Amino acid sequence: MNVEQVRRAPATRRAAGGGGFRSWWGRNQRKIVPYLFITPNLVVFTLFMFIPIIGAFYVSLTKWSLIGSPTFIGIENYVQMFTDPNFWKAFYNTFIYTVGTVPTSIALGLLVAMGLNRRLPGRTLLRSIYFVPVIISLVAAALIAAWMFNDNYGVINSLLNAVGLKSVHWLSSATWAMPSLIITTLWIRLGFNMVIYLAALQGISPEVYDAANIDGAKGWKLFRYVTWPLLAPTTFLVLIINIIYSTYVFDLIYVMTGGGPGFSTTVLVQYVYQEAFQQGDMGYASAIGVFLYVLLMVFTLFQWRVTRQGEQAS
Amino acid sequence: MENTLYTATEAKTKGRRLSRLPRGKDAVIWVLLVLGAIVMVFPLYWMFVTAVRPQDELFNGHFSLFPSHLAWSNFTHAWNKLPWTRFYINSIAIALIAVVATVFINLLAGYTFAKYRFPGRDIIFLAMISTLMVPIQVIMVPEFIITSKLGLVNSWWGVILPRAAEAFGLFMVRQFMVSIPDELIEAARLDGASEFGIFRRVILPLSGPVVAVLVIMTFMWRWNDFAWPLVILQNQSSYTVPLGLNLMKGQYFTDWTGIMSMGLLSIIPILLVFVFFQRYFIQGIASTGLK
Amino acid sequence: MRHPTEGRKYSRRAFLKAGGGALAGASVLGLAGCGSNSASKSGSSGGSKSGTLSFLVWAEPAEEKGFRDIIKAYEKKNPKAKIDLQVKPFDNYQTLTTRLAAGNAPDLARIQYQEMGRFSSQGALVDLSSYLPKNYGDAFTPDLWKAVNYQGKPYGVPQHTDTMAIFYNVNMLKKVGVTSFPDSPEKAWTWSQFMNLARKLKKARVAPYPFAVGWQTSAYRWMWFLFQHGGQLLTNNLKGPMIDNPIGVQTIEFTQNFFKENLVPPSTSIKSNEKIESLFSNGTIAMMLNGDWLMPFVQDHLKDPWAVTYMIRDKQTASDLGGNAVAVTKDTKNPELAADFLKFLASPEQIKQFCVTAQFIPSRKKLVQEGLDYKLRPKDMDVFVKQSSTVPPKMAAEQTIPKFGDINQVLEDQLEAAFKTGQSAKATAKNISSGIKQALGS
Repeated sequence: MNVEQVRRAPATRRAAGGGGFRSWWGRNQRKIVPYLFITPNLVVFTLFMFIPIIGAFYVSLTKWSLIGSPTFIGIENYVQMFTDPNFWKAFYNTFIYTVGTVPTSIALGLLVAMGLNRRLPGRTLLRSIYFVPVIISLVAAALIAAWMFNDNYGVINSLLNAVGLKSVHWLSSATWAMPSLIITTLWIRLGFNMVIYLAALQGISPEVYDAANIDGAKGWKLFRYVTWPLLAPTTFLVLIINIIYSTYVFDLIYVMTGGGPGFSTTVLVQYVYQEAFQQGDMGYASAIGVFLYVLLMVFTLFQWRVTRQGEQAS
Repeated sequence: MENTLYTATEAKTKGRRLSRLPRGKDAVIWVLLVLGAIVMVFPLYWMFVTAVRPQDELFNGHFSLFPSHLAWSNFTHAWNKLPWTRFYINSIAIALIAVVATVFINLLAGYTFAKYRFPGRDIIFLAMISTLMVPIQVIMVPEFIITSKLGLVNSWWGVILPRAAEAFGLFMVRQFMVSIPDELIEAARLDGASEFGIFRRVILPLSGPVVAVLVIMTFMWRWNDFAWPLVILQNQSSYTVPLGLNLMKGQYFTDWTGIMSMGLLSIIPILLVFVFFQRYFIQGIASTGLK
Repeated sequence: MRHPTEGRKYSRRAFLKAGGGALAGASVLGLAGCGSNSASKSGSSGGSKSGTLSFLVWAEPAEEKGFRDIIKAYEKKNPKAKIDLQVKPFDNYQTLTTRLAAGNAPDLARIQYQEMGRFSSQGALVDLSSYLPKNYGDAFTPDLWKAVNYQGKPYGVPQHTDTMAIFYNVNMLKKVGVTSFPDSPEKAWTWSQFMNLARKLKKARVAPYPFAVGWQTSAYRWMWFLFQHGGQLLTNNLKGPMIDNPIGVQTIEFTQNFFKENLVPPSTSIKSNEKIESLFSNGTIAMMLNGDWLMPFVQDHLKDPWAVTYMIRDKQTASDLGGNAVAVTKDTKNPELAADFLKFLASPEQIKQFCVTAQFIPSRKKLVQEGLDYKLRPKDMDVFVKQSSTVPPKMAAEQTIPKFGDINQVLEDQLEAAFKTGQSAKATAKNISSGIKQALGS
């Protein structure tokens, strides 16, 4: 039964037989209704997302302190961005943070998901424990972490001392500040990745594994050639989401280190915030934001193509 | 060979399987998972300990994993410092209204993007999803200007409306809807149902799992919202709980006991929602067809 | 002590004002059958003071109480007026600038002296000349009055000032034999005396660290060290830098040594969220260079005996220019009422009340001369009052130019590099110099 056959059978429509609007509606509702259904969504997105984004594109071409009116300066902001050493420092920090958090949290999430996919006692409880850090607000998580990593009174240093190790200047030394942030992020992110992988794993039917068993695939081979390819679309999704979260991390770093010590934890979005509200240079801040947006879009498209090709190959 | 892997259907059955104790490789995995869980839960435990121990124990240089005694008065003390009742009322109201609004909007739209063909469908959908990649700091000001022109500054709707269409939620719903067999829909059409009737009578009853996921996620997002409410809410009387926590952190004072106790309290509502809907949560994610 | 009950009072007061603002206004203030004028924004009904104003501030509990007392007194005198106090945590003016961009900024806002230039020079504030009587500014401390002026016109009213001195833990200093303290700013400890004391404290291990400086997120507070050493940040005409010279380099080295010699906790650099008053109160540091508004906190949290002495000096005495003004924003719909409230807030009686409540120094010359009747530790507060006269006028002028925000950022980035990543003093001075040049567009 295809679409055209259904559409050409007006007799089955309730509206048939009534004149005017009702029969017109009966014949055309299928074309119109989709637009009606997405209208609330579209209105909200347009008002609160699309228009501000266009606004941001425009502002990126101006100089604007928020207090007066914007003055048009063309692509000057973008030129400034590429020659600004602070921008590159922030870019580097964001890169390090992303590389440190994304592959690790995805790998850990997958491992735990695979572990919890087995028939083990207390699965539900364990699953919840791993997921709880995800539902805490970032502000609360950052406060807990700041307290635990505190130089003088934090429990982590106390535990280190208790086993005879020296205290580490977690948040006050340029060497350890970024690792502290990464560790905290792993705590928050692991459960999220785990839940998505767990759901995906549970969608793999046992016949697949039975068939693989018959072919002699076990352990690592099983994972590499059966499980991992089946998870490819999930991995794509998880990868993109994690990269977005890591690229745009703000609240956590703002609360824990404020971008210091030195410039060691100043990431791009912090720099954007600084430029927008402390430096009164909203134009420049918007330019950086636009740049990030385009960068992520390109990356996503590229990654999608890779995944597609991988799918077609296997 | 023993197949110890679960399938989705098995996951739905209740009942404990304690009779089957893990052996060999499974035992090792189980121990590792438990150790990992202890590490995961320790920060929360520490939050609790910091909140209930007597305040001067924090800085007396003497380290102990257990509080000497439980000073529940810390909670009332911190509670009285700020209008927390007001904050909780605002947060709960915003979260509940947002859940209803978001579920309604996203369900309808996700279904439409999944099951209808119309010009512009893919472009619009991609445009919506791509908004995930915009940093909020950059659109904050234009968004605020629009919200204030609508007269929504300092109001619940000013917090709810701009976030009522969460791109991630839309994505999940669409994925879920795609997996609903087209035949069901066609059959209903043949029976003469209107388009909205199809939604109400065919789609909605099947949407349980994805609704559960949306409810949890939306509640969580709105409950934890910080950056946007900070901009849009102007009076302490309209503040939400995360803003209250931030106030507690304050400009000059670092009241760790107060912060930890109120922080702990702020986790409880979302924890309750999660525990209640948990059963459907994994099921829901699984059925959004993320495979 | 003051804290627990204070807190309870606030929550009730805040709740009432929030949930039943009109109700509270009507009943508590004894409105006698007055109409609902509080909703009207035009306020031009026969020149009487009526209308609603919004007033954006950040505030500690004590400061909030001070503001609410002023508002209560004003509303009592002008029953048709209502002031809505909006207390937000200090967010680097994000709220104010965002609301200005949207055209719905609050009628009144609290602004630091160092930020007044940024807002007044870009048209965000209302020129108050037509609302204030002639020579209104003569009654105020000159530096503060200058700070609220732009191109000869006043854009705000100075409410209070504050400054920094040395808090010390009596017992800890006694342990290294220090029992007598300077009795005037001119007799304060010199740089070398102070460093020797710090080294002695470190050797005797009376506390994990000898001291800390209260410059977290406020790089401009490094400038008094520069002025103490006889230097200045900008040229005399305020158009270019004057720090890339031996005086500047030596000052950077002096402050760098705090970190190099481990005399301050590593977490107390400029880009930090550390609250050193907590470190002082829990015995991590024996001394702190910090401000008068922290006395209530220390009083509540430190059980050991403590006191305050004068800020260190070198070739000159110098200390922090602190404090805030209150201004009217361009989005106000009722400038007459706003200006009237401002005049009330800046009247001697109200300034006196606010400064006593929140532990600040008044902005009016006469009040400073007469001295206020501080309830909390008047002797220590007296040290701060005397110290406030050592604020260098040139430093005040530098910190209140419109572009100072950019310069502050340069200072923050470069000093942080000098303190935490070993950037040499010479390179730091050079970088600050070129950063200032860029900021001033010269």
